[in-house]
Amino acid sequence: MGLQRARGALLRLVSISIVCMGFAQVAPAGVIGTAYMLDEESRAASLSRIEVLLAREDVGRQLEAFGVGRAMVLERLNGLSNAELLELEGQIESQVAGGDILAVIGIVFVVLLILELVGVTDIFKSI
Amino acid sequence: MFGARKVLQKSRLVPALFVLTSGCASIPPSVSELPDAAQAVELEGTPFFPQERYQCGPAALTTVLAMSDVDVALDNMVDKVYLPGRQGSLQIELMAATRTEGRLPYQVDGTLDAIWKELEAGRPVLVLQNLGVAAIPRWHYAVVVGIDAERSEIVLRSGTDKRRVTPIRTYLHTWRRGGYWGMVVLAPGELPATVDRSRYFAAIAALEEVGRAEDAAAAWRAALRKWPGDSVALFGLANAYLSLQDFGAAETTYRDLLDRDRSLLVVRNNLALTLAEQGEYDAAMEEIGVALSANSDPVLEKQLRNTEATIRRRMASGER
Repeated sequence: MGLQRARGALLRLVSISIVCMGFAQVAPAGVIGTAYMLDEESRAASLSRIEVLLAREDVGRQLEAFGVGRAMVLERLNGLSNAELLELEGQIESQVAGGDILAVIGIVFVVLLILELVGVTDIFKSI
Repeated sequence: MFGARKVLQKSRLVPALFVLTSGCASIPPSVSELPDAAQAVELEGTPFFPQERYQCGPAALTTVLAMSDVDVALDNMVDKVYLPGRQGSLQIELMAATRTEGRLPYQVDGTLDAIWKELEAGRPVLVLQNLGVAAIPRWHYAVVVGIDAERSEIVLRSGTDKRRVTPIRTYLHTWRRGGYWGMVVLAPGELPATVDRSRYFAAIAALEEVGRAEDAAAAWRAALRKWPGDSVALFGLANAYLSLQDFGAAETTYRDLLDRDRSLLVVRNNLALTLAEQGEYDAAMEEIGVALSANSDPVLEKQLRNTEATIRRRMASGER
């Protein structure tokens, strides 16, 4: 009697979970979601925007004046997590809404900002 | 209701006025400009759900959903998106509730032009306003249903006002303090009037994550009509097919993607799983092997190893 009831409950449970499975369309385990590719893409876009900045001659001269190698900055950039990259871009963008960043806030500041965020310098935190 | 009026009490009048006036100069033209030929538009047929105290979020969402042919009762919406403790709703919850109703929430550009274009396309825009000031915020959701550039007026379904007419300037200041946040509700397959590819794609990917594969598939198909051959959109569509257990279509689409770009390892991962679902374990192991030998990313490595283990497990139980 008790066993039968238990079996009945189990059957109900199984049928409920089958209904649920049919309802929420869940992909098999291990499937990589579309968001992964989107994140990769936006990371690549962020990197290339910052690299374009770093590739400018005037920025290069400023880096040199600070005694920092461009290759080292690039390497550190690649080591940033997606969240850190977004923060870096956000920091740069928050200084100016549109327009030429360098013209508005100046090369020195942009370079310092980049160096700070990739962890070469530690100036701003100490201010 | 709880408008700006209440904020401007005597003791606070001076600092409040200071903030209001100092804010006037700071709306950039990119936000306030409309095309020269912008005609007055008003979606008069937009329904109106007068809000109960503080419940502007559910009321506004019910309004835009109704315009997208989703019939929900305001009371049900209150249960879904209203946080009694905060006396309000969060944007993220408005978007989540939109998804559960089978619609795609899309955050519009923070410009008057973007709102106007949505209205022209017949879609009202749910917006976040701050009717107070930064120091004493009064968050409020309303629905923009009309813009008349000539008269410099904007028309809202707001609170208990069925048709609140506000000068555009005033509106823009309350909207600026709301972070220029606004959203439209799209039926899956509908594109917003002004579309940002990444933001639209992220909105569809969010549908996928909550298990709305059918809606996501429709949205990806629309994306592919606008951006033919787009890798992310194709990947999304294939993933939707896989969730819907249409393995043949998923396999074809993944293969199509790999023909275009052999280096897409995430695609190969999902292709391997699709093959395993169809009992083609050897082919599945081969694909995951190719992916593993080409990969150099440690995070992805873990995923690929996982997939490999899954296929092995399935192979073992399948052959028994």
